[in-house]
Amino acid sequence: MENFLQIKDLKHSYNSNSEVLKGIDMEVAKGEIISILGPSGCGKTTLLRIIAGLEKQSEGTVSIDNQMVADHLHYIPTEKRNVGLVVQERALFPHLTNIKNVKFGIQGSDKDKASTALDFLKLFKVEKYADNFPHEISSGEQQRVALARAMAPNPKILLMDEPFGALDKELKLELRKETKKILKDNGITSIIVSHDIDDASAMSDRVLIVKNGIIVQNGSPKEVVSINSNISLKNS
Amino acid sequence: MNINFWQITPVVLFLIFIAPVIIVLSSLFGEYSDNWTHLYNYVLTGYILNSLWLVIGVSICVLVIGVGTAWLVTNYNFTGKNIFEWALILPFAVPPYILAYTFTGLFDTFGTANNLIRDIFFLGDDFTFFPKVRNIYGAIIVFSFTLYPYVYLVSRMAFINQSRSILESGRTLGFNQFQVFYKLAVPMIRPAIVAGLMLVIMETLSDFGAVDHFAIATFTTGIFRTWYGMYDLETAMQLASLLLIFVTIFIFIERRSRRKAAFSIAGSVYKPLKLSQLTGYKNLLAFIACLLPIFIGFILPVLELSYWALNYKLDFFNQKFISTALNTLYLSIAAAFLCTLLALIINFSIRYKTNNFLKFLSSFLTVGYAVPGLILAIGVMRLLTFLDRNFTIEIFNLVLTGSLVGLMMAYIIKSYALSSTTFDAGYERISPRIDDVARSLKTSGWNLLSKVHVPLLKTSFLTSMLLVVAEVIKELPATLILRPFNFDTLAVSTYIYAAEERMYDAAAPSISIVLVGLIPIIILTRLIRTSRPANRDN
Repeated sequence: MENFLQIKDLKHSYNSNSEVLKGIDMEVAKGEIISILGPSGCGKTTLLRIIAGLEKQSEGTVSIDNQMVADHLHYIPTEKRNVGLVVQERALFPHLTNIKNVKFGIQGSDKDKASTALDFLKLFKVEKYADNFPHEISSGEQQRVALARAMAPNPKILLMDEPFGALDKELKLELRKETKKILKDNGITSIIVSHDIDDASAMSDRVLIVKNGIIVQNGSPKEVVSINSNISLKNS
Repeated sequence: MNINFWQITPVVLFLIFIAPVIIVLSSLFGEYSDNWTHLYNYVLTGYILNSLWLVIGVSICVLVIGVGTAWLVTNYNFTGKNIFEWALILPFAVPPYILAYTFTGLFDTFGTANNLIRDIFFLGDDFTFFPKVRNIYGAIIVFSFTLYPYVYLVSRMAFINQSRSILESGRTLGFNQFQVFYKLAVPMIRPAIVAGLMLVIMETLSDFGAVDHFAIATFTTGIFRTWYGMYDLETAMQLASLLLIFVTIFIFIERRSRRKAAFSIAGSVYKPLKLSQLTGYKNLLAFIACLLPIFIGFILPVLELSYWALNYKLDFFNQKFISTALNTLYLSIAAAFLCTLLALIINFSIRYKTNNFLKFLSSFLTVGYAVPGLILAIGVMRLLTFLDRNFTIEIFNLVLTGSLVGLMMAYIIKSYALSSTTFDAGYERISPRIDDVARSLKTSGWNLLSKVHVPLLKTSFLTSMLLVVAEVIKELPATLILRPFNFDTLAVSTYIYAAEERMYDAAAPSISIVLVGLIPIIILTRLIRTSRPANRDN
């Protein structure tokens, strides 16, 4: 399968003393969903931020869809990378209604934007809250709006940082299942960062485990779960 | 739009706004005239001593009033406590020069207070009950009762955050209530008190209106006289540089204390304070202790000014007053808008580019609030004269000196800290993840600012506007020097009337300044209410 996202020898440090990423090599195929698992502080969120363009790597290269987006010569900023981003705290714009949140990143005429936004709200079953403000709906519904907002502009790749982290168990199971179906139906290449092995195995085609800034495992959820069944990833 | 705009703009603005101060300081390396030798030999010691006495006297008074009242309203329940909590900030609305004018009107030989005593006790005109106030003691009282809220506010916030367990452990070690106060509570909040005190000292050293009215020779009156009396701007700048050096020392101490204060408040083991109920004479004493500063610093001047305005000058609402008030309003709104916009751009740049250098520049600019208005005025005037001589007249056929440009510049430098801290607090409430997501949705630079940040910072924008309006309306020395010819503001009118001893005419503009000065107090009161005491278990 063709590599859609390619990362080579990626290193990153915030100051001269501590290297957060110590040489990451990874590939993601088009339409593939992968999870990056690891304990707090292992560098998984930094990796996601570098792919998004929110952080500039110290060394190494990142290419998306055969386009070099970050190496020692090039740096394409986030706003020009066409990536979707979903974060744990949802970060919905509190001054905009839910439909306006989803419309925010869509290009085109006002009419087209409104119709696309409504379609995505429908996809995530929150169309009845279109004219409500984010604070007027539950956290699960907010996360649905956040997912709809990230997918509506048709990003090349969807990046999710602990997307189900703040939800209760029942809601998490439901949203996980629905989100996976939507991602697969639409063939959206996705990377999920999590510390929850259940989230990772339920959602992904492949799981990478990062520890101390390097990838220590790379395999199917089944393989990874069997090896790590007795290991807590929350803190190591 | 070039992405570098967000890095370059703050640096350019910084250079423009720091220029007046650099110009003043550069005079230290210039030639020293005969006037300087005269000042040095005969007057400078007097300026230093008077300033020193003022600073010492005011410091002692504000410490007693500010810390004492803060301790009372934070730890005890007594008559009027709930009102005193916020009312003790009211004197903030009265600039020292207005209290000085009111004091002379009240306590001069034929002032309202002495007339009242004579009328009540049927005494002759030669009898004077109240002592003269136009001296250094009068000035100490004026500064103390208008500036103590600086110490009151920081002490109150720090006392609120003190944990009950620490104070209770003092009681178990055998301390009585007063010993707990001065051996435990006060030493623990010392950095906060020092920070507040430094602000009082800076305000005292910067004042021009009150010391000028009381004819006390200090640095500011000296600078003004050297410039306008001796027509020697160079020597005035050298004198201003000396004052600036003193002020810088206090700025440094204030910043250091503020950093320490942030760490000295209660940590995770916070346990809210339990209020003790005061009864009998203790209740009365606490009531008087809190009422007195409000009475002298706010009620008395407001009553006196209202009395003058309504009884002696019923036509105060005349054409001149209206045009002066409108001038002040337009000027303050324009300055507030520019200052707020500037602070927004700089704070946005800091966040957007996560640049520590910009952060440093911004924090350097916030020092402008401590630079005396008179010094700013001199620096700005000198800068504009230089620009006129070399560029603006020749190239644009434009004269900047004596225009509103200088005034705006001085106001912005003086008020930048108010706007910047407001936006800083506003930005703390917006998660950085919002920016990340917005950027992933192809929104950056101006779009990020206008579509996401500005709507979320509406309250900060408005608060900043109101704070700067109130600050600009009060500002006297910079306005006096930099205003265009025949352009009066409320502060300038007040000063001119008071200088001509036309106190009744000064009443209407003075009371307008006080009323506008209440705006930041209302904002402050709201902020204090939403802080930690809401959680207390009394």
